[in-house]
Amino acid sequence: MTSVARVSSRPLWRQPWVINSAVTAASVLVCLLLLPSRIPGMELLGVAPHWLLIWVVAWSIKRNQWQGAVAGLVLGLLQDAMTSPHPTHTLSLIVVGVLTARLQKQRYLQEDIVSVALIVFAMAVIAETVLALQISFNQLVSADSLYPPLGSIWLYHQRIALSSAILSSLWAPALYYPLNRWWDRYSSES
Amino acid sequence: MFALRRWWTRHALKAGMVTLAVSSAWLLRASDGALIYEAYNWLTRPLQPGLSREQQFENSYILELQQRIVELENQNRSLQTMADYEAAVVREGIRAAVIGRAADHWWQQVVLNRGSRQGVAVGHVVTGPGGLIGRVIAVSPSTSRVLLISDPTSRVGAKVSRSRAMGVVRGQSNNRVVIEFFEKLPDVKTGDVIVTSSYSRLFPQDIPIGRIESIDLTKSPAPEAVIQLSSPLPILEWAMVHPFEPQETIDAPVLPGAAPENGAIPGGGARP
Repeated sequence: MTSVARVSSRPLWRQPWVINSAVTAASVLVCLLLLPSRIPGMELLGVAPHWLLIWVVAWSIKRNQWQGAVAGLVLGLLQDAMTSPHPTHTLSLIVVGVLTARLQKQRYLQEDIVSVALIVFAMAVIAETVLALQISFNQLVSADSLYPPLGSIWLYHQRIALSSAILSSLWAPALYYPLNRWWDRYSSES
Repeated sequence: MFALRRWWTRHALKAGMVTLAVSSAWLLRASDGALIYEAYNWLTRPLQPGLSREQQFENSYILELQQRIVELENQNRSLQTMADYEAAVVREGIRAAVIGRAADHWWQQVVLNRGSRQGVAVGHVVTGPGGLIGRVIAVSPSTSRVLLISDPTSRVGAKVSRSRAMGVVRGQSNNRVVIEFFEKLPDVKTGDVIVTSSYSRLFPQDIPIGRIESIDLTKSPAPEAVIQLSSPLPILEWAMVHPFEPQETIDAPVLPGAAPENGAIPGGGARP
């Protein structure tokens, strides 16, 4: 056990790291449950905000690239579970996690809500592009691919990348703000 | 050794958390997210559509019509047995409400609130008001996930009801489907009804899909026509799940040049 756990005399479920992990896991669960729902006002051209991507950005923004990559892997596996594992979502979310963590935020961006929305906008476009690349690759390599020809894949990509980026960046503060506040409080406590 | 132990005392908790997170995510993936969809079903239960008074009256009227159809079908069947006619018998379906949509932008799926506990299994055919919707690709105890026919990876063997011209119905992602004909000059015109064909191995024959909206005979490699679906996929609230055993045997007759159908991927078996 770590030194934190050894020193504190509180019961296990009152220790800060347990509460923090519970809150983190609960926030992921909320995102997962929001994914299949189409609540009025959260939909643009049949596309809903990419909640898992917003979560990965919120997580990676103040952490290093390895932590970002692990978050991308875990949430990507979860999204695979909810849709279909081919093509995998882990790749796009890992890319998002690593890129967000590596951004030179202190130089170019402040940690306010507007810049988070901007990061989410860019990352949503990148994530959809990674998925489109995977689908195109599958289409080019395997002869009996079920996917449509390249032209229509990329036409469709334009549409969903744009609507997903707009919606996700608009909804990003709703998730980023409470999560960030919680993690700040936790890190100042411990 | 000492360095390893020091690393362990410092990072044991973090390593444990990462392993726990990754392995539980992997487990959920292996179970097709059944747990998440169960929780989703439980949470959205108060929001799931019920029946209004008007709908109840409408339903009883429909029931009356259905009973008349059953009577006619029975008469028809006894006549057909005399003529040695063989047809697929569509059995009674399971009624289900649509409670969710695809958890991703690239797939066209819906989530229904009936699962393996109510007898739904993978491969069952789903119809809605108007006609074919898709087929079940994953089930959890009380939810099931349906791949819509408008999904780009969906393939349905179909024919023009009037002229028997064969083709494959392909999804176009945006709630639009097109039919690709096998012949160069198919006998088809706008307004023709499209139904599933007997060559389809994943769907029973003669389920209505929609009407031809526009035709493009110059399209390469095969002539194409846009179909207006008879069931309103974007605003779907109810669906019927029909038990169906897909015939996925290798030596079943396949039309030359036919694209593999919805879900039956030769070799890879990549998509469910």
